Amino acid sequence: MSLSDLSQLKNELTSDLSGIASQDDVERLRVKYFGKSGVLKGLTSELAGLSPEEKKQAGISINELKLAVETGLANSAKDFATARKTDSLDDFIKTLPGVKPEIGHLHPVTQAIREIAEVFKPLGFTRVRYPEIDWDYYAFEALNMPLTHPARDEWETFFVDAPVNEKMGKQVVTPHTSNGQVREMLKGELPIRMLNIARCGRRQSDASHNPTFHQFEGLVVDKDINISHLKGTLTYFAKKFYGPEREARIRPYDFRFTEPSFEVDISCGVCGGKGCKICKNGWLELGGSGMVHPNVLRAGGVDPKEYSGFAFGWGVERAYAMKQDVKIDDIRHLLGNDLRFLEQF
Amino acid sequence: MNVLIPHSWLQDYIKTDATPEQLASALSLHAFSCEKIHKGEDGDPIYEIEITPNRGDALSVIGIARELRAVLPRTGYKAEWLDRAVSPSTPGDRDKLEVVITDPTLVPRFSAVVLDNIKITDSPTLTQQRLVKVGTRALNNVIDVTNYMMFDKGQPMHAFDYDKIGGHKMIVRESREGEVVETLDSVKRTLPAGVIVIEDGDGRLIDLCGIMGGKNSEVDENTKRVLLFVQEYDPIRIRRASMSLGHRTEAALRFEKGIDANGILPALWEAVDMLKTTANAQVSSELIDIVNTSRAEKWVALNYDRINYVAGITIERAVVDQSLADLGFVEQNGKVLVPSWRYDDIDIPEDLAEEVVRLYGYYKLPNTLLDTAIPMTDVSESFYWEDRIKDMLKYLGFFETCTHSMTTRKLAGEDAVAIANPLSEDLVSLRQSLLSQLKEVMDRNQGYSDKIKLFELASVYHKVKSGAELPDQPMMLGLMLKGLSYLEVKGIVEAIYAEMRVSLPEDIAENIKDYGKGVYGIELPFGELVSKAKKSGSYMPVTHFNSIKEDMTFEITGNESYGKMLGKIKELDSRNEKVAFKELYKNAFTLSFEFLDRDKQITSEDTRELRENIVDMLGEEFGVKLKS
Repeated sequence: MSLSDLSQLKNELTSDLSGIASQDDVERLRVKYFGKSGVLKGLTSELAGLSPEEKKQAGISINELKLAVETGLANSAKDFATARKTDSLDDFIKTLPGVKPEIGHLHPVTQAIREIAEVFKPLGFTRVRYPEIDWDYYAFEALNMPLTHPARDEWETFFVDAPVNEKMGKQVVTPHTSNGQVREMLKGELPIRMLNIARCGRRQSDASHNPTFHQFEGLVVDKDINISHLKGTLTYFAKKFYGPEREARIRPYDFRFTEPSFEVDISCGVCGGKGCKICKNGWLELGGSGMVHPNVLRAGGVDPKEYSGFAFGWGVERAYAMKQDVKIDDIRHLLGNDLRFLEQF
Repeated sequence: MNVLIPHSWLQDYIKTDATPEQLASALSLHAFSCEKIHKGEDGDPIYEIEITPNRGDALSVIGIARELRAVLPRTGYKAEWLDRAVSPSTPGDRDKLEVVITDPTLVPRFSAVVLDNIKITDSPTLTQQRLVKVGTRALNNVIDVTNYMMFDKGQPMHAFDYDKIGGHKMIVRESREGEVVETLDSVKRTLPAGVIVIEDGDGRLIDLCGIMGGKNSEVDENTKRVLLFVQEYDPIRIRRASMSLGHRTEAALRFEKGIDANGILPALWEAVDMLKTTANAQVSSELIDIVNTSRAEKWVALNYDRINYVAGITIERAVVDQSLADLGFVEQNGKVLVPSWRYDDIDIPEDLAEEVVRLYGYYKLPNTLLDTAIPMTDVSESFYWEDRIKDMLKYLGFFETCTHSMTTRKLAGEDAVAIANPLSEDLVSLRQSLLSQLKEVMDRNQGYSDKIKLFELASVYHKVKSGAELPDQPMMLGLMLKGLSYLEVKGIVEAIYAEMRVSLPEDIAENIKDYGKGVYGIELPFGELVSKAKKSGSYMPVTHFNSIKEDMTFEITGNESYGKMLGKIKELDSRNEKVAFKELYKNAFTLSFEFLDRDKQITSEDTRELRENIVDMLGEEFGVKLKS
């Protein structure tokens, strides 16, 4: 092939380009035209023997041809790339998992606490925190539970090995979050809408009790607070936390620090309230609540003639385990810290 | 505590058209939670009912029947009360008992009577069956009557063999430490001081009062004369003794919750009647009835407004009056007389409100959301930072753990706050650091992955002033990492400080613990960090002048500290805008510099001067030489 056959060369190029069927063809043609002993190299070597005028003319022709080859190959390659979409390897790659950024897991108790705090936030409840090791006075005495009262049996209390304080009594691992009630009142700021979520401890360990657990405590102190406000708040919580189809009810109970006192039930999510193996006649017990006892208000420096209030204190783990989709059958898993358990949350 | 109440036994007191299920549901919604309905061998429904600690009066068949009398009519069922009048028996005068009570507060009421001509045999079938249904067993016709009356009336009783009481004399007193009494279950119990006991005329202890009778005075098949013994004891002493001896009997659980003082004599006479029928008994002594504490009648103001205030609705006066009357309250001149069996439980108008509103039905009250103003309160910044840092760590690939507040003494340290009554050997001291438990979690999960990152955000506890004050309880952030390089671990710590906009302490490296095998741990004082943290940075105007960037490589001599060098370089000139560590290669390290003049365009002349100053200073202060 020589400069004299330029028109023939152009035709050959056209037929070469139209014959491209694969990426391999593109590569083969690239070598044919641009390779070390390729067509264009050959043409350029012929230039040496030409006159300046001819050289200029031939140079332009070679450049035109070069451009035509480049454009033609580039377009074919582009077509070919579009066609490659159906390539089977690519299809397989699309089915593989992406390379995930490393993301960890928050403990289910943290997740529960966040959900709980979110439910109460729009109702104006503010989170607080009080000592986890506290005086007997705040944990019991100020809550209308004198030292000898049998009601204390309900709280399997851990005592701290420390000198007894004359006014405050022994030091205890708070067996509930209610130690925050009188402490909150003693801040001297009324009205109160408190949400105290904290770590607690009790001397018991079985499928539904851990010696270390968490409670959330609501306390409202204001003018004209009555049972219907407590019921409204509980029902709001039940529907937001468990779902709109769930109901809450209160039954008579007895706690020394509330009068009247209630046990709170949530309708069972498994049977829809009809009654099944895991519930009691369609209801699951959530925990205690009641109207703040006048003696507790007095201990907090609040005049029971002017103010009233309600309180509730429930286990975070228990409340969370009662969610239908959580399905934690043994509460001890929560402190097991098995990563195969934690990675599921 | 839970009690078992057979349906057929309730029918001694009350006639109703409610089915057992309806009865249980009404009781649960208005009074006590009926946890389960068991079936007796004869098909008799037996209610298992949870009784709250304030309602010792309901630990009996009559107590539950009294509640049903008030509850059932409000739920649309009939409840007809069947009166069972008991009259005292004619006293005898053959037998005597000498009683000495050393302290009248031990036994507010001491009642007893001697019965002669006893014939010991088995109890009638009905008595035996009923005892089995409530979870006990039949022994003989005398002992069974005392047990039967406890379950029927809530009044514990005891029967002594009168002829085994030395000198027919009883001294009621407090025990001395170390005294021993053998109880009916043949256990010899060594007593602490202050337990109520009875000593007979021969100086023997014959009763562990209110808890269990003495072996040496028990009724057996040869017993001919019985001292029937019905008391009220000081509830606090009974409770303390029963707890410290670890002997929680049915009697003790009832005595410690307080019993109906006005029910003592009726229960005694009913027991006498039963013994006359079943054991051929004859009353052979006067009634011994010593009242050490006389209780005044208790009246509580009836305030209809207060009841409505608590309920949030208006309950008609007639309904209030009827509810209280059904529960046994007697109304007079704006006050009500508290029935004797509720003496310890009802004190204030709120108590009456509870009675009325629970009978009305809590489920009938409306649900109202709070409609008063939301209080203005300060929220602790800690909650914000806890959420933010926990999220940050999660997205850095950490697992959050939750371990016990308590641990072993070895892990907590000898100076840790100790638990006086630990539950188990591994939970005896309050932790002073999160790291040892985090390390345990790391070890337990060794095989999970080559790279593991753990954190826990929780309080630790430090003893203050020899323990006279509450422990110091700061919140700490513990990190435990495996499969990361030292500088990666340090980088995470730096990132936490940067996120909270707190400057990194100079000695931070010393706090990173190397546990070997690629495991590092560090504990950060989270509470302290929160007090220094800033949510947002302060704005520094962006200049339109360009900076000049240069790298310099220095030889390592071993005297340098990156942090100190950095500080000195920054101090040297405000135009030393940024300095960063770039790389470490063999015995040289490279720093990259960015020079910027905020007032004018910086020139290469300027940077040469800055560069020379830096090299001079590093040479003088740290002996660091520019690598040639």
